[in-house]
Amino acid sequence: MARMEVKSEVTGTVWKIEKAVGDKVAEYDDIMILESMKMEIPAPAPADGTVVEIMVAEGVAVEEGQVLAIVET
Amino acid sequence: MSDEQETMSELEKLEAHARSMGGPEKLARRREAGLLNARERVDYILDKESFLEVGLLGTSSVVPEDRDKTPADGKVTGYGLLDGRQIGIVSNDFTVKGASSSLTNMKKIGHVKRVATERGMPLVFLGESSGARMPDNMGSKGMGAMLGNDPTQYVRFRETPWASAVLGPCYGSSAWYTCLSDFTVMRKGAVLAVASPQLASMAIGEAVDPQELGGWELHAETTGLIDTFAETDEEALDLIRRFMSYMPAHNRETPPVMPASEKSGDALSKIVPENRKRVYDVHRVLDQVLDDDSVFELKAKFGRVAVTALARLNGRVVGVVANNPMVKGGALDAHACEKITSFLVLCDSFNIPLLMFVDTPGFIIGKEGERQRAAAKIMNFMTALQMFSMPKLSVIMRKSYGQAYLNMGGGRNTDEVLAWPSAEVSFMDPTYATRVVLWGRSEEDSPEEFAEVREKMSKDNAVWDMASSFAVQHVIRPEDTRSNLIRLLSFHEDRRTAGIGKHAMANWPTGY
Repeated sequence: MARMEVKSEVTGTVWKIEKAVGDKVAEYDDIMILESMKMEIPAPAPADGTVVEIMVAEGVAVEEGQVLAIVET
Repeated sequence: MSDEQETMSELEKLEAHARSMGGPEKLARRREAGLLNARERVDYILDKESFLEVGLLGTSSVVPEDRDKTPADGKVTGYGLLDGRQIGIVSNDFTVKGASSSLTNMKKIGHVKRVATERGMPLVFLGESSGARMPDNMGSKGMGAMLGNDPTQYVRFRETPWASAVLGPCYGSSAWYTCLSDFTVMRKGAVLAVASPQLASMAIGEAVDPQELGGWELHAETTGLIDTFAETDEEALDLIRRFMSYMPAHNRETPPVMPASEKSGDALSKIVPENRKRVYDVHRVLDQVLDDDSVFELKAKFGRVAVTALARLNGRVVGVVANNPMVKGGALDAHACEKITSFLVLCDSFNIPLLMFVDTPGFIIGKEGERQRAAAKIMNFMTALQMFSMPKLSVIMRKSYGQAYLNMGGGRNTDEVLAWPSAEVSFMDPTYATRVVLWGRSEEDSPEEFAEVREKMSKDNAVWDMASSFAVQHVIRPEDTRSNLIRLLSFHEDRRTAGIGKHAMANWPTGY
């Protein structure tokens, strides 16, 4: 069991959170969508696993490299 | 035994000793670790039995007792055939005093480098060395006699392409030559750094992890000093052969032409999403447009918002710069600018035409970019594009905004601009522009006015006005991109120079 961080690759805003804590995800599944530069930027799962933590809410500003969620594999 | 026979046997003895490298024990340890030795690497990368060694009998000439302990003086040098073409090659032998730089082996490198450059042959440098040899270089006498003494040692005019492999510890000269190369591949587990972790630990008084100091992940993702990486020595050497297959032997000839792929690019219309905010992977576009299995991406993990790749179109080598909306929406950042700049320098120096695939909302703005000197990086990229003297064509697939419109070939910065009907071009995204134009008012108070302005702006961004004013020369169906580029590129071949560019950036740095 490894805890893997889902990090934001951009500075922007959380637009839509698509998964909830407890959801099973496959690698590359979008956990949430950020908005930056008027583009929808996906934040995908780094590996197959379960979402165990979501640190942000829709509408909040995030920095590049900020941890958005944790996936346990 | 006659005198002649004795001399012959002396030669055979010395040759055998020179080829023995650091001795059976060290060589066995490498074999166990799955590493090729310096001579196996040469044999692997070159065509069978084509190696012509230079300076086989070179040894240490500074410390008399080292003479018998320094076969080939730790650097194997010479000429050979790489896929049928003549090249110069240097292979560091770490089993001989860590392939440290000495008086003799630096002369050997300098010689092969000079011959390759003057006679127009590519140069391959297989790096694995510890740095300057001790005690040879110590003291002012050592420094005065040994290091340098060649005012062109680290100058690049890109007369011929250089490729290097980082195949072990690379400090000192192996690091320098790697950074001077046009292409670098690194084997996982190798280290590229100014000085060894041990020396770094001594100097700064803290433990330094070799991979953290100069491992493949650092250089692939953060520094961009390497172009690609490999699991094994063999894979790394194969990647050098692949890189060289796109290069001319020297800057006065054009790259080799290969058989073309028969393909249509029909699937192109389905890749770019209709929703202007949705992302997609531009690699799928490139696979449709370019010849099958011809896309050779450089620095794939660095500045990932853009793709830089050597490829073939109808059998001819092209350089590709493409925005990748999949990463950060395709917004260009400082690392991408550095990567594109070095790629433009490479292509222009070796007579490779350029194709740009455009879908970017602009340059990423914000604090991080400014700290990375984004404004200067954008201008380096821009200058390189304007100096680029080979044919250059751009395809606007979707977004092209602001200064990025110019950097990606708009405004006469490529020879011809093609656009898909989905192209949208403006100074600023309509959402932001509306707020600028209606500054001081709030959307909540006057939603209709905001909607009206935004809608008009969006409409004005469509490609038709650009076509009408000849700012784009062709509006084409996505599925016709490949055939259009093939035809246009053939019309743009420079007949007066037989396809040889001006090389105005040949003396630009090899790292940014």
